[in-house]
Amino acid sequence: MGNFIYKRSLQSLLSLALLIVLVFFLARLTGSPADLYLPLDATEEMRDQFNQRFGFDDPVYVQFFRFLGGLLQFDLGESIQYSKPAVEVVLQAFPTTLMLAAITMPIVIVVAIVTGSLAAFRPGGLFDRIASLISLIGASTPNFWVAIVGVIVFAVWLRVLPTSGTGTPWHWVLPIAVLCLRPTGVLVQVVRSSMITALSSAYVKTARAKGVRARAIVFVHALRNALLPVITVASDQAAGIVNGAVIVETVFGFPGIGKLMIDSVLLRDFAVIQAAVLVTALAVFIINIVVDITYALVDPRIRHS
Amino acid sequence: MNAFRKSLLGLSTALFLSPLAAMAQSGDAVTIVLPGGPDRLDPCETPRSVIGRIIKQNVVETLVELDYAKQTTIPRLAESWEQTSPTTWRFNLRKGVQFHDGTPFDAASVVYSLERTLDPKLTCITRTKYFGGVDITAKAIDENTVEFTTKTPMPILPTLLAQLAIASTKTPKGEYTAEPIGTGPYDFVSWTQGENVKIKRFDGYWGEKPKIVDATYVWRSESSVAAAMVETGEADLAFSIAPQDATNPETDKVYPNSDSAMFRLSADIAPLNDVRVREAFNLAIDRKAFLGSIISDKAELATQQVGPSVLGHNSKLVPWPYDPEQAKALLAEAKAAGIPVDTEIRMIGRPGMFANSNEFVEAAAEMLRAVGFKIKLDNLEMTQWLEAANKPFAAGRQANALLTMHDNNSGDAQFTAFFKYHSDGRQSEIHDAKVDKLITDAGMASGEERAKLYQETFRYIYEDLVADAPLFHMVNYMRVGKRLDFTPTIANAVELQLAKLVVKQPS
Amino acid sequence: MRSSIHASGTAEMARPAQAAPSAFRDIASSLARDKVALVSAAFLVVVMVCVVLGPTLLADQARAMNLMQRNAAPFSLDRPWLYILGADALGRSVLARIIVASQNTMLIAGTAVLTSLVIGGALGLVAGFKGGAISAILLRLADAIMSFPSLLLAVIVLFVFEPGVANVILVLAISRVPIFLRTVRAEVLELKERLFVTSARAMGASTPRILFRHVAPMVMPTVINLAALEMAFVMLVESGLSFLGIGIQPPEITWGLMVSDGRNYIGSAWWVAFWPGLAIMLVTMSLNLFSNWLRVATDPVERWRLQTSAE
Repeated sequence: MGNFIYKRSLQSLLSLALLIVLVFFLARLTGSPADLYLPLDATEEMRDQFNQRFGFDDPVYVQFFRFLGGLLQFDLGESIQYSKPAVEVVLQAFPTTLMLAAITMPIVIVVAIVTGSLAAFRPGGLFDRIASLISLIGASTPNFWVAIVGVIVFAVWLRVLPTSGTGTPWHWVLPIAVLCLRPTGVLVQVVRSSMITALSSAYVKTARAKGVRARAIVFVHALRNALLPVITVASDQAAGIVNGAVIVETVFGFPGIGKLMIDSVLLRDFAVIQAAVLVTALAVFIINIVVDITYALVDPRIRHS
Repeated sequence: MNAFRKSLLGLSTALFLSPLAAMAQSGDAVTIVLPGGPDRLDPCETPRSVIGRIIKQNVVETLVELDYAKQTTIPRLAESWEQTSPTTWRFNLRKGVQFHDGTPFDAASVVYSLERTLDPKLTCITRTKYFGGVDITAKAIDENTVEFTTKTPMPILPTLLAQLAIASTKTPKGEYTAEPIGTGPYDFVSWTQGENVKIKRFDGYWGEKPKIVDATYVWRSESSVAAAMVETGEADLAFSIAPQDATNPETDKVYPNSDSAMFRLSADIAPLNDVRVREAFNLAIDRKAFLGSIISDKAELATQQVGPSVLGHNSKLVPWPYDPEQAKALLAEAKAAGIPVDTEIRMIGRPGMFANSNEFVEAAAEMLRAVGFKIKLDNLEMTQWLEAANKPFAAGRQANALLTMHDNNSGDAQFTAFFKYHSDGRQSEIHDAKVDKLITDAGMASGEERAKLYQETFRYIYEDLVADAPLFHMVNYMRVGKRLDFTPTIANAVELQLAKLVVKQPS
Repeated sequence: MRSSIHASGTAEMARPAQAAPSAFRDIASSLARDKVALVSAAFLVVVMVCVVLGPTLLADQARAMNLMQRNAAPFSLDRPWLYILGADALGRSVLARIIVASQNTMLIAGTAVLTSLVIGGALGLVAGFKGGAISAILLRLADAIMSFPSLLLAVIVLFVFEPGVANVILVLAISRVPIFLRTVRAEVLELKERLFVTSARAMGASTPRILFRHVAPMVMPTVINLAALEMAFVMLVESGLSFLGIGIQPPEITWGLMVSDGRNYIGSAWWVAFWPGLAIMLVTMSLNLFSNWLRVATDPVERWRLQTSAE
């Protein structure tokens, strides 16, 4: 097992390296930040000065090696927009998004497993139809639309929740509800399908024949077998939460990393883009490794593949 | 509907112990919603609305303040001033004023602030927007007297100094600061990245003490959310909400924001190199139809790049009528003369330039297509838009109509004319010897003469050259909560003096 | 193991193909019995008609502005029938725009999903079957793409290239390749140890033959279900791009762009954003319900299972 984790981490490092190369060069293709930060009448001299200060005057590969060198010392460069180290900017924003994800995912998983398996218990039944309908609505509604409608309904009409911002736990209710929507919708579908398959497999039938109460069958035997794809999709959705976070943070004025990333692209703040992608990727890789380890524990075959 | 809402409200209050109680505003604290958050809070960047609206005249003050209504200047940190020669001005400073950090406000600090602002190591917008090309130095005569010397006569120096925020000498030179130290009625408290900025009343303020003690600034990019915050009482004032969100005349107040929108036409490139084609372009846009629909009905049709409150504005110019038939006729005439009027013109917009600007360019493009223009619409983000807007222009670019919005809240046309129309102006599409001379002459003149020369410049550009398609002098909607008594003015484009906010009913 | 539907557990033998006409009749009659699937299929047919004919029939109406009746409310009998769903901020018919936009929307979502399905599926087959270094490299690449937030990737790519239809398709397709790769690989991993594959191998069948004749058909049901869900995802990301101001550019229209433009009017004219949003929702729902039915109807084993478990 230790060997497996070691190998898996090494592989993740490889992916991380790939990602870093990708983001470094892609970001630089979007154009020079000089125009954004320098006055309209900037002289050539001022441009040179600016480019020199942030190292944009060197060939791109030199910039890349300098970036790698800095990386080894946890120095990811200076943010142009904030005039402070990019790491600092990113680490200030990261906890908010992490918190959003950390609250969202458990809710999503619990709701999806309960709803999905209840739906699978009697496919085509009333509960299944309703659950399918609602989950598909959840999976197909644009989240910014839900977010704004949510503000109008719950904050302006009903006055039960604050419109936006952070502060009290109440401020987190709407953003998290919006973030939950799509992953829950998708995951309910997945749980349902897996459960239907699992329910008809031989050992569940055996259990049924033995006369164990039906409900127990669903939750104990079938669920365990249905769990693999659920974990997989859940981890994919967890990674996808950053997408949702971009929009939720924009609408609700949350100081998270999703909005920071997009703003940094708009403002060509390369150092921040790199640092932000690196930090989120690290988080995603950790999730992936945990998921893979879970697999390996559940299904020994995977360890060897 | 109202009854329905009320009953829902009752139901909800019964169900939940209202979580909103904790957020109610106390009497002497205000929360203000801005459309975007600051990236720095440097005193030398106050002309940027996102920074100025927080700190200008609240945290940092200027020597001179602009009175937009009377188009004149009034003393602030300077008690009086006089022009001692065409190129020198002497300013007498207010005595007994202290910075928030305890250092005294004196001539040395004024000199320091000017030097810091003009330092090329720092791209201060105050320098680049207002002091560009002005060779100016300051000298302390005594503790409370400063002498400014310019290389060439600068008749509007006080206007210029209304843009220079004075910061403590402890503000470092050569790097931006995130913690402004000024002399204003409010002391900077904190800035939480991506979240809020807080300022607090400064007890050692030299002037009258304002009523409001604490102010928190937050930002929401979605206008509907910003409007909702004020409606629910979470905030007291939202700076700019979209016209369609300004539904409550009691709270939603309109004010000119000194922004003027226009299409800049590439007058050198076919087919826009023909004056008839440019006239047709102007005639094809039904500007009035936008007012009251996607643009506020309080906006004004523009004929030039500066608004009526700016010295040099020419009020005699008449807005283009909407005349699609005439536009078609002009295009036909140009075509007959061999102008390739079928050539594609690139219309360049930018999302979020103003409320509903996407809809605006889409509609304008349709109107132009209707008279026979071939328009390709491109909405570019900031960096790409700047590349298209600024010189050097790309070689071999196609004809374009670039949507720009220019704000001049300095009160003088100088900061517009050179940059937009002089041959050497960074965003100028024209190079006309007569325009160049008019602009140069106007810059040296003062008073009536100055106004006249600028007015002639704008007339010539508008009527004779038809260099661009002026659109609107824009307005903003500010939503002011019921707790406050406040009427916004054009000054609020770049500042909001908390001292001028009146709390109606302290709770 | 990124499958949305777990691999069928006991389908060990390749089923003998039935005679085509009778299979078709079977499916048709099964569709007639399942009302939900029937309605979904009917709706998808309507959408396809809009996709094919919409722009030719209604392009002008979708562009015709009338600022006088901006944000006109829906269900008004005073206006022409095209305004039955109301008008948008520029006074254009929402109905006409939805119909015309269906082409771009479906083109983008369909092409993007199909591209990622084909590329991801093929790579997944190879990765699953070959294993070893190739599999490892492909998986690391997939990891790298997956951990790059797809909205961010899209934003960067669309800044570098023009945000036209083709580039939006390209970037969405690339960002969704990994999910298909992983799903297919996981299925193949399990299938390749099965009896029919090992026997085919023993009989000397070539690798491509085994992959495409024996393994690929077994993976298809899962992939089709996944693709139906992915359609929704792609439409939503495309809408998100418009929300951030860098998606499809007018005068091109998509449902995503319409929702995004309409969000500014949710408080004053809900219909502008609601109808295109509903269109996205209904298409997603129909695709999923239809693909669920298809999976069951085309796979006798599954059908038998459903009947048993629902007894």
